Amino acid sequence: MHNRHLSPRKRALLSLGTGVALLAASGFIGELRNYQGAQVAVYLVAIASIILLTGYSGQISLGHGAIMALGGYGAALSFTLWNFPFEIALAFGVIVGTMGGFILGVAAARLSGPYLAGTTLALAVGLPSIADQFHVLGGEQGLNFDIGDPPHWVVRLEGNDFTQYKWFFWISTVVALIALWAITNLLHSSYGRNWRAGRNNAVAAGLAGINVARGKVLAFTVSSALASLAGALFALLLGLVTPTAFPLSLSFAIVTGAVLAGVGNLAGSIVGGVVLVAIPEISGALTTHLGDSQKVSANLPGLVMSALLILVVLFMPNGLRIRKFKRAKKTT
Amino acid sequence: MLVHRRTKRGKLAITLVATAALALNVLPAHAINLYKADGVSSSTITLGITSPLTGAAAPGYNKVPSAMQAYFNYVNDNGGVNGRKIKLIVKDDAYNPVLAKSVTNDLVLQSKVLALVGTLGTANNEATTRFVNDHGVPRLFVNTGYSGFADSKKYPTTYPLLPSYVMEAKIMGQYIKENFAGKSVAIIYQDDDFGGDALKGFATAGTKFIAKIPYASGSQADPTVVGKWIAGLMALKPDVTIMFGVSSATAAALGGSYKAGFKTQWILGSVGGDGTTIATVAGPTAVGLLYGAIGASFLPAPTDTTDPYIAQFQAINTKYNAGVTFDNNVLVGMNSAMLTVEALRAAGPTLTRASLLKAIAKSGSTFASAGFAPLGYSATSHVGYNGYWFGTYGPTGAIKPIGGTYTLYTTDSGTGAVVKATSTRPAMPLKGLPNN
Repeated sequence: MHNRHLSPRKRALLSLGTGVALLAASGFIGELRNYQGAQVAVYLVAIASIILLTGYSGQISLGHGAIMALGGYGAALSFTLWNFPFEIALAFGVIVGTMGGFILGVAAARLSGPYLAGTTLALAVGLPSIADQFHVLGGEQGLNFDIGDPPHWVVRLEGNDFTQYKWFFWISTVVALIALWAITNLLHSSYGRNWRAGRNNAVAAGLAGINVARGKVLAFTVSSALASLAGALFALLLGLVTPTAFPLSLSFAIVTGAVLAGVGNLAGSIVGGVVLVAIPEISGALTTHLGDSQKVSANLPGLVMSALLILVVLFMPNGLRIRKFKRAKKTT
Repeated sequence: MLVHRRTKRGKLAITLVATAALALNVLPAHAINLYKADGVSSSTITLGITSPLTGAAAPGYNKVPSAMQAYFNYVNDNGGVNGRKIKLIVKDDAYNPVLAKSVTNDLVLQSKVLALVGTLGTANNEATTRFVNDHGVPRLFVNTGYSGFADSKKYPTTYPLLPSYVMEAKIMGQYIKENFAGKSVAIIYQDDDFGGDALKGFATAGTKFIAKIPYASGSQADPTVVGKWIAGLMALKPDVTIMFGVSSATAAALGGSYKAGFKTQWILGSVGGDGTTIATVAGPTAVGLLYGAIGASFLPAPTDTTDPYIAQFQAINTKYNAGVTFDNNVLVGMNSAMLTVEALRAAGPTLTRASLLKAIAKSGSTFASAGFAPLGYSATSHVGYNGYWFGTYGPTGAIKPIGGTYTLYTTDSGTGAVVKATSTRPAMPLKGLPNN
């Protein structure tokens, strides 16, 4: 949705229209698709955080799963300790994750390339296991909660077959669209231009009066806000946070999603989200076709994902796009 | 020029959004009309299980689903249940609650299983609870000792099987009182709900510790952490040391104390005390470390071929699960599968989720199984087995009952007394084929 020809008002209308269409669609798809749709929305936000960070600000993070964990645990704690309504719990999760992201961002601005990747990777490995050290975080078993039933007005509007999964779909879709809209606007502002300038040539950007280091910290913080939002949504969807819910593979999955989407393409996060949810589904169908072997079913999703990643990097380095179009040179 | 290109980009973005929406829409939606006789046709019964088949928790536990499958195949070859063949759909959850939730969605909404059986792990079962409750899906013989799952109000369709960790600790406390009176006792435990439940049980039993050593789950992989456990123990020289942790922590504690030359009478919790699992996580030589330790179990020793259930399950394993070593995991799988068949039979020919749950509440306590402790299922209770016997480990890691006979202690998860059980186990149905 990174379309500079669209005026801010048109972008808002596009987001609104998409939202209304998706909410309307939720009535015609089954409960499973509603859940998967909610998952797509969560992954979309997480992938957007990577795209913003890597594609626009030129920083690499292999540890965004840990930032998601911060958001998730923040939201979960505000449920279990204070019984906040879910909107406030989401916001609380984002605040926790953003603060964590800011601290990490300050360190990140001093690192680059493999050093930054290594630092964030260590965070993804280490951070979730901190939960084991503090009783308030629930240890290995994690924290359980239930955001409860949809509010009465929704049930009255939609009828009694309004399931919790449909409610999740509504929440995640609306939140994801608002987040995408806000980020698109941000990237079109002077902040976005400064980030791209810093990414393309830090020296030139500095000479032009841009504070590159500050821009990097800010980009990392905003990206963390997005990632923690995804984490908080993720926690709501699960009704549970545990260290095992935010494994290293989650960090890799969202980076993979971003590569499949094309790291410089915010709209691609939709493709990335769909692919991440669709691959286990497709490999499940394939396994059934191949005769339900345990060995195949356990390993096929990883194989399909890896193969797709290799193919995309080799043949479509700008990500999976429906229609290829040529751009002369990347303009900033 | 630029503006023109970006128009294309705009169109592309819209196309992408529309495609995503369409993709969600067009894919066939199977998931309408629940609460019907899902998972049952005139010829088949479809059941589902989520279990770690990949990842760190997979070794050992990954043998459970295939053992269940083997037993179901054996029953199917002998006529099935009321003329229906059992089909078990196995989904990998990698011990990750996120994955557990999405594969459970698939099992219930897409594969339309009648029930979930033997699902493993406390967090993984918690993650799917709301969904399972909303859809009234029976979740039978859950493979975790968390005492909470026996709460029939919070988990109306869930029937746990294992005795709770509280029960295990209470019984262990009683055993220590009877056999190690006046001796000093220390404990190493996992610092979460698992170990917390255990401490609760020991407190109820009145066990006094000269040292309590908690460890964070996962920290057992760090040799310096293990070194600290052993140094702490050696300073106090307890006569008896209880290890209440997972297999990798148990192996680490035993290995560390062997290297340091620390002598104590080890008592191992059932979760971490399976010889073949220890061999899988710590190498085949590690089982030798078990020699002389005391362990607890509610099923017969997997090596005890004089037990009719073990002999029968071993025969089934040889034929239907070829190449897999018969151990406690295989035993747990086959035992759960046998109970499942009895529950399905008890529900009668008009099998639905509701009739299945009703049948377990009504006659679940009479089901024949390899477990020595009675099953506590009734209209008001979802408690499974409630007892343990104690044995000593031989040099090959095989556990044998102390004194040659299985002496069973039973109790509850509350403050009830620990008693030596007098009940006898239901006889094994002919050829291990339920006839209830």
